Amino acid sequence: MKGAHIKATGISHTYRRGATQALAGIDLEIQPGEAVALIGRSGCGKSTLLHILSGLSQPSQGKVYVDGALVDAPSPSRVMMFQTPSLYPWMSVEQNIAIGLKFNGRMREAKARIPELLALVELEAYAKRNVQDLSGGQQQRVALARSLALNPQVLLLDEPLSALDAFTRHALQRDIRRIAADRGITLVLVTHDINEAVMMADRAFVLKANPGRIHKELPIPIPGDRSPSTPAFAGIRNRLVAAYEEAAGLAMADADAFSSQNEPAAETDDIRIPADGTFN
Amino acid sequence: MTQSSALLQEATPPTPVETGVETAGPVRERVSGHARAAALAVDLAYALGGMALLIVLWWLGGRIAQSNPDLFAFTDFAPGPTFARLHEMIATGEAADMAIPSLYRVGLGLLWAVAVGVPTGILIGWFHQARKLTNIPFQFLRMISPLSWMPIAVMAFATWDGAIVFLIGIAAVWPVLFSTAAGLKRVDPAWFKVARNLGARPWHMLFTIILPAISQDILTGIRLALGVAWVVLVPAEYLGVTSGLGYAINDARDTLEYDRLAATVVVIGIIGFGLDFLCQQAIARLSWHRED
Repeated sequence: MKGAHIKATGISHTYRRGATQALAGIDLEIQPGEAVALIGRSGCGKSTLLHILSGLSQPSQGKVYVDGALVDAPSPSRVMMFQTPSLYPWMSVEQNIAIGLKFNGRMREAKARIPELLALVELEAYAKRNVQDLSGGQQQRVALARSLALNPQVLLLDEPLSALDAFTRHALQRDIRRIAADRGITLVLVTHDINEAVMMADRAFVLKANPGRIHKELPIPIPGDRSPSTPAFAGIRNRLVAAYEEAAGLAMADADAFSSQNEPAAETDDIRIPADGTFN
Repeated sequence: MTQSSALLQEATPPTPVETGVETAGPVRERVSGHARAAALAVDLAYALGGMALLIVLWWLGGRIAQSNPDLFAFTDFAPGPTFARLHEMIATGEAADMAIPSLYRVGLGLLWAVAVGVPTGILIGWFHQARKLTNIPFQFLRMISPLSWMPIAVMAFATWDGAIVFLIGIAAVWPVLFSTAAGLKRVDPAWFKVARNLGARPWHMLFTIILPAISQDILTGIRLALGVAWVVLVPAEYLGVTSGLGYAINDARDTLEYDRLAATVVVIGIIGFGLDFLCQQAIARLSWHRED
């Protein structure tokens, strides 16, 4: 399995018949198998951009190409995970996982794929359970398995972990990154959680609001397993925080102060990351 | 085990064992079983008490009729003669003979109401233009008493049965239609987005997502429709037919057999209650909604 190459050119988008401009002139390119985070404050258009990349929404201007093909509709090769798991509560765990296969006339694969996916998300014992019996974290695991059932080339994540407790979120961040890397899936993550971006992405685009546009692009070159307690993690995190604050419209002095206040700590091992791992 | 899978395992949210569902299961089940039985007993006591009260009031009415020479003709309405006649009607099969044609007509009327109400409700719930277009005409039609269609039904249909089924259908269609539309409007839009994203075609959307999602609303609509249909049935069966519960009431009145009339009323009540109970059970059994 090889992830897809994504290229977006001149993406602009307006709502309410042009009255509200959500995005303006966004150009970005994502390499196959790369994990990219779109970060920014609420209302900066990051979810809109993700919907456009998935084909669920069409941009007012500009074009998205996946492996050179124009995106003009959703495709099972580009699967999106939403903020809420949005599982179908009248179905069991395995029925939910198989739903994409059913829609695409590939139910013959279900017998082999479902046990494999259940094992991947460590929910083998829950196959026959109704999804309403599961906790929030387990439900997101089912949503992840459902997304992977179709062997997508691109996985688009619209803050799917934001409602989970810090520990479960951390585990799922590592897990999704590992699965995407193992399978070569291109990952596009929308988040306002800086730690999550550093934990999961190879590169981050910081978006600025009104209208939404790319403010800064930062690489996240951390090899191997990622841990918030490492200096490399903390250093990149602080640079992203500064860029985020800058894009969010804080005075540069505040952003610099925040950055410099934390930068030295990044050189040491005892940097303190907020316990819930979030930055709002 | 890798660090990530160790975390994953630790982070796996509460299993039934951790949450105590299985550990404390037998004790909790015993406790909740006792509590449920006690609640059921209280409910049953109230239901029996209510029925006893009704029968006492009925009996008092009979006594008053018996003691008043002006009301003497109505003494057969009292519980004693009514239950004696009811027993006879059941034993001879007369009650079943009366009820079967009525059940057939109500069933057919409801079938039409569902066949028209569910698809129309889905159209209205899905397309807001359809909702806007039909809102005033449907509210207008809904407020017309079904029985006022009687003369038109008699002229429009070749058979009396056809006219009765039409009257039942036109009375029953509105609860099904509006309940379906309201159910669809409440469906989580994310379910449709996920389905589209996973490659659902329109028929998948209808049969795999929409219909299961609104099944409870449709069943609730059918339950309400059944109540309306059962109410409309009796006056509708005053039309020309020579069978059914409505006809039996009319016939008993004409022949002054008030005990048969009262027994027929009891049959109507029992069947109506039974059908509603079955609907409730179907809703409870088929519903995917969790109370908690």
